[in-house]
Amino acid sequence: MSTIFAARQFSTSAVSNHIMKLTRLRVVDNSTIGKQAMAEGKPPRCIHVYNKKGIGTIGDKIMVAIKGEKVKAIIVGCVKEQKPNIPRFDSNNIVLIDDNGTPLGTRINVPIPIVLRTILKEKTFSKGADYTKLLAIASNYV
Amino acid sequence: MSKIMKRTVFDLPSSFRITFGGPMVLQSRTAHNVRAPRIKYPLWYLQRERAKDDQQLTGDNRAFVKEAVHDKFGMPAVIHGISTYDVRSPLSEDSVECLNVEWNPKLQRTGLIARKLGNYPMWLDNGKSVLSTLLQVIDNHVIKYIPPGEFNPPRKPYSCPNHKKPLGCLLVGAESADPQYFTKQYCGLFYREGMMPKKYLGRFMVSPEAALQPGTPLLASHFRPGDFIDVRGKTIDRGFQGVMKRHGFHGMPATHGVTKSHRRGGNVGHGGEKGRIFPGTKMPGHMGNRYRLHKGAEILRINHKYNVIWIKGIASPGKTNSIVYLYDTILPLRKHKSPPPFPTSKVADDDQLIDSYKEHVYKFTDQTITYEEDK
Amino acid sequence: MLLKTLNFHRFKCGFAPVLRASRLFSNSPPSDVQQPSDESISGKQVKPERKSVVPSNSRFIYPEFLPDPKIEWRNSLREKLERMDMIQRRKHIDIPEFYVGSIMAVSSSNQHAPNKATRFVGICIQRLGCGLRANFTLRNVIKHVGTEMKYQLYDPTIQKIEVLRLEKRLDDELLYLRDAPNEYSTFDENMEVEYLPEGAPVPVNPEMVKLKPRPWRARWERKNMKGLADLGLEDRFYERAEELATPWEKYDLMKQYRKTIPEEEQKEIFAEVYSELHEVEVMRKKLKRKKVFIKPTKNV
Repeated sequence: MSTIFAARQFSTSAVSNHIMKLTRLRVVDNSTIGKQAMAEGKPPRCIHVYNKKGIGTIGDKIMVAIKGEKVKAIIVGCVKEQKPNIPRFDSNNIVLIDDNGTPLGTRINVPIPIVLRTILKEKTFSKGADYTKLLAIASNYV
Repeated sequence: MSKIMKRTVFDLPSSFRITFGGPMVLQSRTAHNVRAPRIKYPLWYLQRERAKDDQQLTGDNRAFVKEAVHDKFGMPAVIHGISTYDVRSPLSEDSVECLNVEWNPKLQRTGLIARKLGNYPMWLDNGKSVLSTLLQVIDNHVIKYIPPGEFNPPRKPYSCPNHKKPLGCLLVGAESADPQYFTKQYCGLFYREGMMPKKYLGRFMVSPEAALQPGTPLLASHFRPGDFIDVRGKTIDRGFQGVMKRHGFHGMPATHGVTKSHRRGGNVGHGGEKGRIFPGTKMPGHMGNRYRLHKGAEILRINHKYNVIWIKGIASPGKTNSIVYLYDTILPLRKHKSPPPFPTSKVADDDQLIDSYKEHVYKFTDQTITYEEDK
Repeated sequence: MLLKTLNFHRFKCGFAPVLRASRLFSNSPPSDVQQPSDESISGKQVKPERKSVVPSNSRFIYPEFLPDPKIEWRNSLREKLERMDMIQRRKHIDIPEFYVGSIMAVSSSNQHAPNKATRFVGICIQRLGCGLRANFTLRNVIKHVGTEMKYQLYDPTIQKIEVLRLEKRLDDELLYLRDAPNEYSTFDENMEVEYLPEGAPVPVNPEMVKLKPRPWRARWERKNMKGLADLGLEDRFYERAEELATPWEKYDLMKQYRKTIPEEEQKEIFAEVYSELHEVEVMRKKLKRKKVFIKPTKNV
């Protein structure tokens, strides 16, 4: 709450809505660490985006700082404008994963873009990380 | 602004003027051994527009002149969606068939003159949307053919001075217009071929086998859907621009002690031996209004009724409603694989075929796209 | 001045007044110098006796048939070809009359989905573009997360566009719903179609939206929105808004002229298009009537 008031002291320009380093994000799975961080009002911060642009979008892998730890995550929804037929959300949603691509939680409580099915399947290699496990725990597709 | 500058410079009091002590030295910075090509204009570079002169004609006389024009060149008509004149050159009768040469990849065909109509999206069969540019082939006719021996341009092809392939020159005109608006000289270009004067002219280098009789109409069906073409046109004139807009420089920071140089390019030269500005350094200057070539654009669709060609992408130079020239592409991997209409397409007798599409392009008359379920 | 109008709005929302349909047009594009009366709105439903007569409200029902007024981009042949393609597409899919504020459902084929089709229900918050580029955005709150989906009107993957509740709102764009509490944009996915009686004018929903406290995605106090309840800001915000307001622009005739398609040209365009559109509509109505007629016979 105090951060909100601090932000009100000076004028704010239009937000770019990009997911880049130091962006605050929202964990949407039910992993313990994610739940605790969200409940304490200390949402995770992106500290790296694993692509060449440095700006993350749906399906990109990022590293977040959450409760003093470094955890990898997958972006499953963005605030910024999307192309036709791809949903845009009111919050930047992420799902925490480990190095093998297995999600830390067991359930995702928000809608997930359907495109993610194809994107994550394309990113999965036979001997690399398997991201498709994330799709199995999603409850709702948009 | 420039006016003010001039005034301030020239209105300086005489005491401020700089006087040179010694004699004036004329500098010449070009190499002495290169002689500039003597400018020799091709035969179609003529005074085109006539000075406007009302001649104090009465209404009757005006009507008579109009009637005389129609008698000679035919009545105004709308052909392929363009208001033009229903005129046919007597020369074009036995044009295309007379040379019965088989097409081979080394032969060079003529191009077309088109107008850029604008962009709109098209869809592919897999549901993907692509932006397309519409180009209308505007009432094109062959005006003149100059065989290789006679055609002697002042500037030879730069890359190969000993040009092995002798190419002829085909003069193509687009959009017929009322001859009253042009000079006698200019109308003379079209007189012998029995054509109306054309608003736009284009020169195309063709193999002698691909030569065409003057008066032959050129249509959009000269190309086929799926072919690749090059589009040449004049880019949008943006005037004098700085380096950020013209060359995409980054400029300088907004703060940190930077003053008066937020959009400047910075350093342009070196020191010592190289203490000069190298030729070709990117600097502010006039941007646009130059001929540029968009190579390898794919044709998605052709409308034969209005002679419109849809090409993939929106990179062709020029504004909407500007004139562009279309050629067979010079990119080696995108050249014709199968014989195209050679030397050009014939005028179709049946008006049944209106639209022809490239494979895998969604036709708007088709049903909604659905995907097959995975097994 | 704006402060006064805003105060007026605050005052009004307490009463929750019933607004007239003609009120809505004060916010529509400046081409509407001649404000259509209530009769012209209902003109579409009342069948014209002669088929050639183009209803005067066509520009509200088919706004995407009017080209982009930017003069540098205009070409009559391109616009004509575009219109022909649009009509071809309309023969395969029913694109109904809808407005910003209507609640819609869009079914479309999607190659990423397991059953290769999806359906999205939501309120239309924006309608943009002309010609084949025309698009609209739907918004809904699914599992407490605001979700928006943009659709192209003439996208061939769209299977069906349903209007579940045909109504207008007080503004031409409802982007402020992003800053409003979730209740304002929550709609049931299994909502049933609400039919309007034949010939009734399109109702205007006078709902006033109360926004969440700042920060917002835009400075709404400067946008002169009619559907916003009291914003609860300090006076300095309204003062600044008043400083930046440009109330004289509505008198700038040249600006209006450049922004809109002249009425004569609109008439020409709709005269060209309407007969075919009408044919398609009549065909569809016949099919619909057949379906409706079969049901009661079965029950009997």
